[in-house]
Amino acid sequence: MDKITLKDITKCYGKNPPVIEGLNLSIEEGSFTILLGPSGCGKSTVLRMIAGLEKTTAGDVQIDGVSVRDVEPGDRNIAMVFQNYALYPTMTVRENIEFGLKNMKVPKEERNKRIEEISEMVGLTEYLSRKPANLSGGQRQRVALARAIVKKPAVFLMDEPLSNLDAKLRAQIRTDLIELHQKLGTTFVYVTHDQVEAMSMGTDIILMESGKIQQHAAPAQLYAEPANVFAARFIGSPPMNVLSAAVAGDKVSPKVEKIGFRPEKARLMSEEEVPGLRELVISGEVVAREMLGDQTQYKLTTGFGSVSVKDFGDSVYSYGACRIAVPYKDVACFDAAQKLIGFGLLRGDQFVAD
Amino acid sequence: MTSVQKKPLRIKPIRCVGTVLKILIDLLIALIFFIPFYWMFITSVKTLGQTLLMPPSFWVSDPQWGNFAVVFQKIDILGMLKNSLIVTAGTLFCQCVTVIPAAYAFARYRFKGSKILFGVTLATMMIPSQLIFLPVYLMFSKWGMINTYWSLILPSASSAFAIFMLRQTFKQVSEELLEAARLDKAGEFKIITRIMLPLARPTVVTLTMLTFINVWNDYFWPLVMTTKADVRTLPVGIASLRMTESGVNYQIMMAGNVILVIPVLIVFFFAQKQIIKAFTYTGVK
Repeated sequence: MDKITLKDITKCYGKNPPVIEGLNLSIEEGSFTILLGPSGCGKSTVLRMIAGLEKTTAGDVQIDGVSVRDVEPGDRNIAMVFQNYALYPTMTVRENIEFGLKNMKVPKEERNKRIEEISEMVGLTEYLSRKPANLSGGQRQRVALARAIVKKPAVFLMDEPLSNLDAKLRAQIRTDLIELHQKLGTTFVYVTHDQVEAMSMGTDIILMESGKIQQHAAPAQLYAEPANVFAARFIGSPPMNVLSAAVAGDKVSPKVEKIGFRPEKARLMSEEEVPGLRELVISGEVVAREMLGDQTQYKLTTGFGSVSVKDFGDSVYSYGACRIAVPYKDVACFDAAQKLIGFGLLRGDQFVAD
Repeated sequence: MTSVQKKPLRIKPIRCVGTVLKILIDLLIALIFFIPFYWMFITSVKTLGQTLLMPPSFWVSDPQWGNFAVVFQKIDILGMLKNSLIVTAGTLFCQCVTVIPAAYAFARYRFKGSKILFGVTLATMMIPSQLIFLPVYLMFSKWGMINTYWSLILPSASSAFAIFMLRQTFKQVSEELLEAARLDKAGEFKIITRIMLPLARPTVVTLTMLTFINVWNDYFWPLVMTTKADVRTLPVGIASLRMTESGVNYQIMMAGNVILVIPVLIVFFFAQKQIIKAFTYTGVK
């Protein structure tokens, strides 16, 4: 069942052209949905419209099938975690957590019980009487989470909650969030520009660019079958190589404008090696090599642009001239509108996939 | 065992002189502020003869505490103290009611004409009260409010300066904090009392102090608006000590002034930490 539905949403700021126009979106109950995209793509605006912090210019937001257009943010049964936590600086940790409950008129015994539970759960018990200013970044993050969880909302909204933390802590809280989602089974809507965060936590990813949804899919599908060139180039590190179709010569139909392949699907060949029958061969030159232990990443320049290749083999290729081989079946073909046609090279109208 | 040779602690002469100079200047400034208070106090315990001594003496060996009793005899100090307290407290209360919501609205809402309204508010700061006292007096007398507390409270029931100061402080509070509060189901009133005001505490305390001193020491307005002793405030009463048949009794006047400034000093003593904070506001990270 859909928990949140956005229908024909348009959002303008002042008299400027709309940042979002005619957006339709549904978020499934119990999902961990990620709004992913580069900065300025409107993902935060979407989240804020769900929260009710931003009015929609046109269109309708529904939670549980009911329009919440005239419902105040506090009455939408949602909780939000902000990028810089937005803890109330003059209140103690306990008061911070309790503030929402008090406003919701939760009786005192119930409040105490919940605060005890939550502070145990996120490990804040000994900090309850401190002020936010006397907490570390990670602890503040946990207070912000506790403040959201304690309200037992139907939806959690998170706006880049990890971006102010250092790398190690970020990885840890990422795991904590996945665990939390599993435990609570509530709908999470999470905004980020970091595709690693999106891929690792999400059950659903909504990829956005300049106010439009580029693709809405599960992480695995988003990775395996990017709907268009933008999705292909946004996901993966390094992202998919996208080159002009000319690189494949007459092995593609004229309908194909661009081809792409993931760095790990390609391999490097030494001069004497003979390529397989169903492999696309591109010659280039190694210009950068990064050894990461389990794999080696190469950056090559070819006549059609630069290409990244991940190699998991033991042999190390030296700088200089080299050839890249990609199996036909792993080559994605994009049409003139940059949409994915399918995998495998085309001859006539037939795919030449294995 | 090798002994570690300690370098003798060397004090750099230039820095030393600098420190001494700084302390001396600080002392001088403190003295400039302290002397008038000391002069007032010491005069208040002199005899009439001593107040007229030339050169003036800065020490009294036999303090005349009786001067204070004379003040109490000559004017109804307690009654005037009561009037002053009522007027000051009333003004402060009215300002809380008018200033805080106005500052919040100017800081946080965009409504039609908000800029013009704010401009008009600021413009009122530039009109001296001496310029408008006549029409106000006529208006109040038409309403029969002369010689009432209202004639003293209402003209300063709001303050453009306070609205301006508080608005600037409210503006520094991050929008996310208010959004978080709205998501926590807090209404505007709760946002003001639980989030905004605690954050603006130094400013609020400072404004309260400034208003307190202004109203407490105000001489001109009570003098104009009241004619009867039973609604007159302390400054007017103290000034009336001057009007004697037998020349000015400086020691009695100064004793009255000491009584007048004591409440102000007490307020300042308790508020000084907050005042310093208000002027060196750095915000909560």
